[in-house]
Amino acid sequence: MAGNPSKQPDPASLYRQALESYLREDSEAALLDAYALGRRLLNEGRGMLPLIDIHHRVLAGLLTGVSPDRVLAAGHLLAESLASFEMSLRGFSEANSALRSINQRLEDELRKIAHALHDESGQLLTCVFVRVDQARKELSPSATPFLDEVRDMLEAVETQLRRLSHELRPTILDDLGLGPALDFLAQGIAARSGIGIQVEDRVRQRLPPAFELAFYRSAQEGLNNLVRHARATRARLALQSDSQHIELKIEDNGCGFDPRQAGSGHSLGLLGMRERVRSLGGEMQIESKPGAGTTISLSLPLPAGGHYGAGTIAAG
Amino acid sequence: MAISEHIPIKADTDVLAARQKGRALGLQAGFASIDITLLATAISELARNILLYAREGEIELRLLHEGGRRGVMVVASDQGPGIADIERALQDGFSTSGGLGLGLPGVKRLMDSFEIRSLPGQGTVVTAVKWELR
Repeated sequence: MAGNPSKQPDPASLYRQALESYLREDSEAALLDAYALGRRLLNEGRGMLPLIDIHHRVLAGLLTGVSPDRVLAAGHLLAESLASFEMSLRGFSEANSALRSINQRLEDELRKIAHALHDESGQLLTCVFVRVDQARKELSPSATPFLDEVRDMLEAVETQLRRLSHELRPTILDDLGLGPALDFLAQGIAARSGIGIQVEDRVRQRLPPAFELAFYRSAQEGLNNLVRHARATRARLALQSDSQHIELKIEDNGCGFDPRQAGSGHSLGLLGMRERVRSLGGEMQIESKPGAGTTISLSLPLPAGGHYGAGTIAAG
Repeated sequence: MAISEHIPIKADTDVLAARQKGRALGLQAGFASIDITLLATAISELARNILLYAREGEIELRLLHEGGRRGVMVVASDQGPGIADIERALQDGFSTSGGLGLGLPGVKRLMDSFEIRSLPGQGTVVTAVKWELR
């Protein structure tokens, strides 16, 4: 729209020259030009569709008196201009499956940490309880109020540890599904932070396990982010679906930020959320302005036919 | 047995010649039109690397017959600066390809086999093969 900022000639006329020359004499030079043009556009961050559009416009302008074999030749040139996109796409598919296996490994690690936190620290705490009780018997009665206080604090620690280990590897997610797991997560974070967190589940069905996990982890990251950075007093998790997508919204009434300037800090978490949904073919959008709260929408495409794939249960 | 062509790569016009020969061999090897395009793409990327990093080098193209199967081998060699860290050079995002999967990582994905030998200060040899689809 704003003209061409670089000195490069515009794509349509380059493509036209290449196509005319290729249709005239099948020249390798024309194919190389088309290839280079596609590569340049890819590097400039443009998609394939403009290229296909250019192709058809240019071809339509040349069609009078063009024989079918020339139309096929034009197809060759188009393929050539798209070859670098093909190369790039193969790289992205590979990166995507790598990302999924990294996520899987991360989950395995989290399971181990959750286990250690729950079982091993739990055992250690039990020993401490026993010792405190012994001390109560051994020491003079004046020590009892202090020891009771220690016991109360230890109980609080135990509750926290149990909660944290469940959040790390929520068996509730496998057993009851996303809605109840989000409830559990929200309660824990609300209790720790003092932020009022509302959970709305309008889906109330089981989703494919990878979807449930991706949404759970994203909600966890999003809520922890907003506790740390948003200075919010209220937040809301909303799960909803239409025939093709399922969407999780994470909203807060906090200080907001400029999504374009989310340079470092919590943007690493946002990046992780985005990559997590992208690896499942989904998208993430952030709406925020300084002073106006934040809404993060994560959307995943439902498998064809709209079936959730894991049967349905009445989540209670 | 093997038909082999050596094409010196010193200028952009040599890239044309290499692509053209590669296409001809792809046709002889019974490649589908799309695979011929991808072979030409791989040749372009390898030639581009030679011009960019070593300034000059050579691309050898060879028609292969193996167990009744036909293929095209591309050997791109130069005596340029070489690659110190090959593993890194094969990662997307290294140097020119900027994470888009072009360059060497792209070539690796387009071809059926891919091998790279390089010594810093001595040069680089990339050998890649694409087989006919059967």
